Amino acid sequence: MVDRTLSRRKLLQLLGAAGAVPILSAPVLSACGSSVGGGGGGTAPGGGGAVKVGLVIPQSGVYAALGTDMQRGWDLWLRQHDTKFGNFTVTTVIADEGENPQSGVPAVQRVLQADQVDVVVGIVNSATALGAAPLMAEAKKTLLVANAGAADITGKARTPYVWRTSFQNAQVAAAAGPYLAQRNIPGGIFLIAPDYAAGTEVRAGFKKAYEGAGGRIAGEAAPPFGTTQDYQPFLSQIRQSGAGAVFCFFAGAEAVRFVQQYAQFGLKNTTPLYGSGFLTEGGVLNAQGDAALGVQTSLFYSDRLDNPANRAFVDAYRAAYQAPPTCYAVATWDAAEVLGRALGSATALDGDSVSAALGRLGAVDNSPRGSWTFDGQSPRQTFYLRTVDRVNGQLGNAITTSLGELGQV
Amino acid sequence: MTAWLAANLVSILNGLAIGFLLFILAVGLSLVFGMMDVLNLAHGALFLVGAYIAAALAADGPSWGAFLGALALAAVIGLLGGGLLSAMTEPLRRRSHLDQALLTLGVALVVAELLQIVFGDDPLGVPAPPGLDGSATVLGATYPTYRLVLIGVGAVLAVAVYLVVDRTRVGALVRATVADRDMVAVLGVDNRRVKVAVFAIGSLLAAVAGVLGGPVYGASVGLDSTVLILALVVVVIGGLGSVRGALVGALLIGQIESLGRALLPDLASFILFGALALVLVLRPRGLFGSRTGAAQ
Repeated sequence: MVDRTLSRRKLLQLLGAAGAVPILSAPVLSACGSSVGGGGGGTAPGGGGAVKVGLVIPQSGVYAALGTDMQRGWDLWLRQHDTKFGNFTVTTVIADEGENPQSGVPAVQRVLQADQVDVVVGIVNSATALGAAPLMAEAKKTLLVANAGAADITGKARTPYVWRTSFQNAQVAAAAGPYLAQRNIPGGIFLIAPDYAAGTEVRAGFKKAYEGAGGRIAGEAAPPFGTTQDYQPFLSQIRQSGAGAVFCFFAGAEAVRFVQQYAQFGLKNTTPLYGSGFLTEGGVLNAQGDAALGVQTSLFYSDRLDNPANRAFVDAYRAAYQAPPTCYAVATWDAAEVLGRALGSATALDGDSVSAALGRLGAVDNSPRGSWTFDGQSPRQTFYLRTVDRVNGQLGNAITTSLGELGQV
Repeated sequence: MTAWLAANLVSILNGLAIGFLLFILAVGLSLVFGMMDVLNLAHGALFLVGAYIAAALAADGPSWGAFLGALALAAVIGLLGGGLLSAMTEPLRRRSHLDQALLTLGVALVVAELLQIVFGDDPLGVPAPPGLDGSATVLGATYPTYRLVLIGVGAVLAVAVYLVVDRTRVGALVRATVADRDMVAVLGVDNRRVKVAVFAIGSLLAAVAGVLGGPVYGASVGLDSTVLILALVVVVIGGLGSVRGALVGALLIGQIESLGRALLPDLASFILFGALALVLVLRPRGLFGSRTGAAQ
């Protein structure tokens, strides 16, 4: 009797334990499961293995629109290439980067540890990219930055595992410097960009290139980032400086407000507005409306770029998403392209092998932006001066002239 | 002096436009906080709702119908939203500020996320109604016509709110409730109804401010928290529960944000909170706040 009671209790305990085991170990098991599909999957090139990619892009917060474009560029490339990098079948895990490193770095950590991805792609925020770099180095896996523009990511804070397919903040601004210096603008140029890291890089990069080519800076302003709703005080400052033109760097809602207020306060008719291309790229352009007409910006891409690769890309993109592509979609499409090329020759999926293969790539000659190469671990690419116009009722960035090729600055 | 005035006239005008807009936004926040001790962090979300309504109705091109329709719709939604917030915070009335702040912060986050889902991630522009979308020349300086009108509309609204609170029986009830709500209850007035009414009207004004501010600020993710911070600064500088304080605080912040930034561009990010710190050191209860928080 006693024995039976004990045994029944024992049985119950055993059953309970058996029931608990799957619950407790579920995350572990599923993590193992996914690493079977990805991590350890294919090591031999040509053997038809699998590669798991963590696409870390903003799906919430102020950068969510960029995240949408980046995912479209990524999806489009995979669809055009049978979801394969070389002989590796690609599995994509998407994680939300959010607005800042407080959400972005844990997202990178999650895809590395929980999802056991082989490569990480994406990252809009520079602070997130810089914060993720040590995680990548520790995991010895490759990160391909498809937007974040801080110089340090592939400069001062360089690690062999972090590569970039987009741009540097200072590079985009510096590209316009010599061109504007040659224009001999009477009164010089007024320089305005928000008072955070990217804005400071833009001001420094433009100033060096513009003054180096003989231009004169009429004045500088650094409006508080993220909290400036009204640019009137700075617009008054521009007017009083007597500058003949303005070069600026703004993105997102700030770009919309700055361009609209620039027109409302009557500066548009007297003082031409130049800027880094993000000022008029993507969704912000429609929100700016007619105020944006005639604004000139420098960037490595416009959907109006006339080359065969871009014409095919724009057609495919429009067919898939009923919208024109942006530089954000192109940079992510190119991230997939260089991974496809690298994994064609990589011997394994670890960071050292992938990075070595990326270093051997040479020119990426089929990019919609035109041919470009890695200079160090960031692109050497051609920049264009673009002018906002309206064609068939739709605002767009027409190519005005080439600003020449520029490597890392 | 005249040369200085001519050089800075645009900044002064602009300070007035922003100041009146801030007053319309902040007066509800101030009264609800001063009266019922409810810290409503969803106030900025109501502003953003108004801004998105203005953007959505003007999507097919600017028109007076769209603008006035947006004002009416924002007013109705503001009233309902204020009533709902009042009902939600009612069970917490005996609890600490932190509980109410958590609840209304949660509401603010949910509303902001819903707006982003409905209206998309891209920032939206709000065109000024036809006829007001150009620029006027004021003493040789170019100034947007819409903002000139905004100064007028804002001034009328400010005077109206001030007269209602200061000169009518309803206003007297509101002021009495701010001063001592237990005494008002003893006199036989159900001060919960006063709270619902003030909450609803204050929220209406916030949503209307969103529509009026649309052509200036646009509608975008994150705008709710930046205007909420400005409104809180106005309330703290002016003093809790004081209409006069909210008006003076708003006009002061307007000038600091435009004239101050124009004169001291290097201190642009500092002067707003510098002014706040100065007021807190010299008058911890705000310029017009009294020990009991009585309304003026």
